[in-house]
Amino acid sequence: MSAVWRAARAAVRRRKLQTVVIGIVVLFSAATLVVALRLLVASTAPFEQVFNDQAGAHVVAVYEPGAAGPTTAPPGAVAVAGPFEQVVLPAPTDTGMIYLPDSLTVVGRADPAGPVDRVEVWDGRWATAPGEVVIADLPPAAGYHPPSQVGTVMHLRDGTALTVVGFGYSVSRTADAWVAPAQMAQLHPTAVEVLYRLRGEPAAPTVDAFTAALPSSGLLATSSYLVIKEAVAAGPGAYVPFLIVFGILGLLVAVLVVANVVSGAVVSGYRHIGVLKALGFTPVQVVAVYLTMVSVPAVVGAVLGSVAGEYAARPLLSNAFQGLGFHGDVGNGLGVQVTAAAGILVVVLLAALLPALRARRLPAAEAISAGSAPRSGRGLRAQRWLSGARLPRSVSLGLGLPFARPARTALTVAAVVLGVTTVTFSGGLATTVARYSSIADRNETAPIAVRALNPEFQQGTTTRSDEDIERLLRSLPGTRHVTAVLDKEVAVVGQARAIRVVFLRGDRDEVGFKEALVEGRWLRGAGEVVVPSALLHERGIHIGDRLTLELDGHRTEVTVVGETMSASIGDPGLLTAWETLQRLDPQEPIANHDVMFQIAVTPGTGIPAYLASVRAADPGLNAWDNAGVNTFTVSMISLSTTLSLMLGVVAALSVLNTVLLNVRERRRDLGMLKSIGMTPRQVVVMTVTSMAGLGLLGGLVGVPVGVLAHRFVVPLATSAAKVDVPRALLDVWQPGMLLLLAVTGAVIAVLGALVPARAAARLTIAEVLRTE
Amino acid sequence: MSVDEGRVVVRLDGVRKEYGDTMALDGVSLQIRAGEAVAVMGPSGCGKSTLLNMIAGLDRPSAGDVVVHDEDLSRLTETGLALFRRKRIGMIFQFFNLLDDLPALENVALAAQLTGVSAGQARRRALELLDELGIADRRNAYPAVLSGGERQRVAVARALMNRPALLLADEPTGALDSHAGEQVMDLLLDLNQIGQTLLLVTHDERLAERCANRVVSVADGRIVGERSLERTL
Repeated sequence: MSAVWRAARAAVRRRKLQTVVIGIVVLFSAATLVVALRLLVASTAPFEQVFNDQAGAHVVAVYEPGAAGPTTAPPGAVAVAGPFEQVVLPAPTDTGMIYLPDSLTVVGRADPAGPVDRVEVWDGRWATAPGEVVIADLPPAAGYHPPSQVGTVMHLRDGTALTVVGFGYSVSRTADAWVAPAQMAQLHPTAVEVLYRLRGEPAAPTVDAFTAALPSSGLLATSSYLVIKEAVAAGPGAYVPFLIVFGILGLLVAVLVVANVVSGAVVSGYRHIGVLKALGFTPVQVVAVYLTMVSVPAVVGAVLGSVAGEYAARPLLSNAFQGLGFHGDVGNGLGVQVTAAAGILVVVLLAALLPALRARRLPAAEAISAGSAPRSGRGLRAQRWLSGARLPRSVSLGLGLPFARPARTALTVAAVVLGVTTVTFSGGLATTVARYSSIADRNETAPIAVRALNPEFQQGTTTRSDEDIERLLRSLPGTRHVTAVLDKEVAVVGQARAIRVVFLRGDRDEVGFKEALVEGRWLRGAGEVVVPSALLHERGIHIGDRLTLELDGHRTEVTVVGETMSASIGDPGLLTAWETLQRLDPQEPIANHDVMFQIAVTPGTGIPAYLASVRAADPGLNAWDNAGVNTFTVSMISLSTTLSLMLGVVAALSVLNTVLLNVRERRRDLGMLKSIGMTPRQVVVMTVTSMAGLGLLGGLVGVPVGVLAHRFVVPLATSAAKVDVPRALLDVWQPGMLLLLAVTGAVIAVLGALVPARAAARLTIAEVLRTE
Repeated sequence: MSVDEGRVVVRLDGVRKEYGDTMALDGVSLQIRAGEAVAVMGPSGCGKSTLLNMIAGLDRPSAGDVVVHDEDLSRLTETGLALFRRKRIGMIFQFFNLLDDLPALENVALAAQLTGVSAGQARRRALELLDELGIADRRNAYPAVLSGGERQRVAVARALMNRPALLLADEPTGALDSHAGEQVMDLLLDLNQIGQTLLLVTHDERLAERCANRVVSVADGRIVGERSLERTL
């Protein structure tokens, strides 16, 4: 066994606590790094990744059956799939636990694979015979195993029975259900769809040019992959920049914390380095001993941390990205694990190497005396002032210690600042994400949705008008606010395409729309519109613009008074008062099932009981709990909270380690103070006071730094992603919370100091003074 | 300094101390009377410093009794021992054990401040002591810039701060050059001559002969001899 290994092994054994701390810090840092890297990799163009994996269709063209177009692949297409027969049917009602849209696009396809749109069959198998159907749906998140719905039998309006034999996922959204081609004849197909894949990632002009070049004979409709991409980007995709910020923060914190802990460990070992040199170790051997010493816990920590990080990342990412509209398969991340483990080890070695190289150059005598020779004290004025202050001497001594060693103090404060900044920033980011979610889906404000059943599809519909329904809802016990929401496609004079307009009636100020304002102001009456950011950018609309809406030949002018956050899936719509519709066309027919009601209930009202009361009041009304539907919001919040906690733990460990080293360095002083009559309690008070002061200082610096970082980085990230967010997303701090965060640094420092201080207070003085 | 001449201030009775398998003290019995200056001598590792630590309450015996100034140290808690040291004991170490972070005056005053004496009073007393020891002009200097002799004089001043009944010195000249050693020897002698009870642990025959009036020889954890000295002034 080489001398280097012997010396390193002995050092590891002698510094058990330090070895354990390094191992734990590296473990948590590696785990954080894996989660951060996985997040970054997955967040980088997530749509493109999934789209390319499935060889997604850039253009889906729908032709009349028997049209000539499908047989020819126009220039620009690198792959073509189809033609596949297609029919749109009213959805069956006996679907059990399977959720289907009201109108079902059914496509006949022999094979889920192919050159374009490779459908991922994640449960069951593909439909190969008549009577079988595969339903399009997202696979469940990793770790979540709902009971399989394969085997469910459903009936179409004509009585045709279809057995669900599988579930498939197509990012191109080419169908709601697939059947075998032989089944299609019975379903009377009304069209055929052809899927085209173009070169690279075509932009809108390329897609438009390609679409224009398609044979027009028999062409019914085309759709671009950009529509799906936009929907994801403008809606849930807005979370991606937040995830990226979390990833980068995790990366930075992991690296800084490991560097701090490891370099601190080496600096505290200078005396040992001197002894090794005196024994005859060459400078290179000394460096090797120290690198080996820190490598032992670091390797263990890095390997365990990478594995733990992967286990933490997989369900988090799976949930989050399924929520983003992609499938939950996030791969095994082996490459990321290896990269993270290797990367963190490189950081450890570099962090150890720099101080070790410095120690290598020190003469042996100087290195040996590093721990025992008198240091020149500093801060005479502060010491004198504190000494004369009306404080117990143990307290004033504790407060004065940081002034005496500015370098060590700076290192400790830096660790606390980093920790508190991290906790503040990541906590703020988690709150921003949570607030974004609540603004985006409005479910927290108005969790209940009510709509009259559609007589075309459902039985037992209501005869009440939409106004009667609103009156009924307002009369129910527990109703707090009711807003009627009506969507209409309305032409805008001067705009080539119609725009979706959302007419709001009732308590429109109270159900969450107002909170999503980014710029300008909320609606005050008829003739005003608030425009979602995406629409504002896409159509070149500005606040203050006047638009002319046109519906069935009637026109009215509206003024753009505000910009609201784009967060809903689907086409963004202009928000306006119901009165605007009356101005536009007072005779416009409104079916009661076209109007949705968003309801906020009074505090203490149970949602299930309220839903039951709505159904009891009128069985023709469908009432449901929107809050329970959006598991995506929950997964996003849990992801950001988990990341925030992980970062907090890593930062706290760093502070603890710095404090431990600090107190250990003072063992001789503590022994001496005890020898002149300092009681164990006074020793604890002094030690804890010295660290609490630094912790508080670090907290007072770290909190504003964290807040500023949050205020700077969040808008930067969201604007880089072309997502406008309300200022309210940045105002996530309450004074009490800030105070708590500022005190957090002191609490961690006190906890970190308490254990070694108590141990020092119990130490036999003779032993301390002899060994130091 | 008030001295109750002839009264037993230190009584060790059958004291044993073991560190694992090593017997540091093996049935040591010793009495020191007020006003005495006793030097404990012996080779390295014989148990001299352990003996001193027992008397100072810095360590506890494995067996036997240690009574100092009528206090049975084995009955005291850690806090009790700290209060005992504060009131009764002054200690001088070979390597001074000053707080590097405090200037000389604050190092000395600290001992009194720990007992609750006000900062002003403590500083006045500390300055008097530094003046008596001839280093008042170095009161604002940190230990790192003091010479070895100066550091040891600061340590002596600190040890005397609370007017201890017993001054314990562990190799007080061991880390000093001969000139500084002489100065410290003179200082200790002066203190004893004005009635300060003194227990020295030393290798230095000259220090023992100069300062002590009784020498206790220790070997292998036992007292192997005692002799009285006529001090060489």
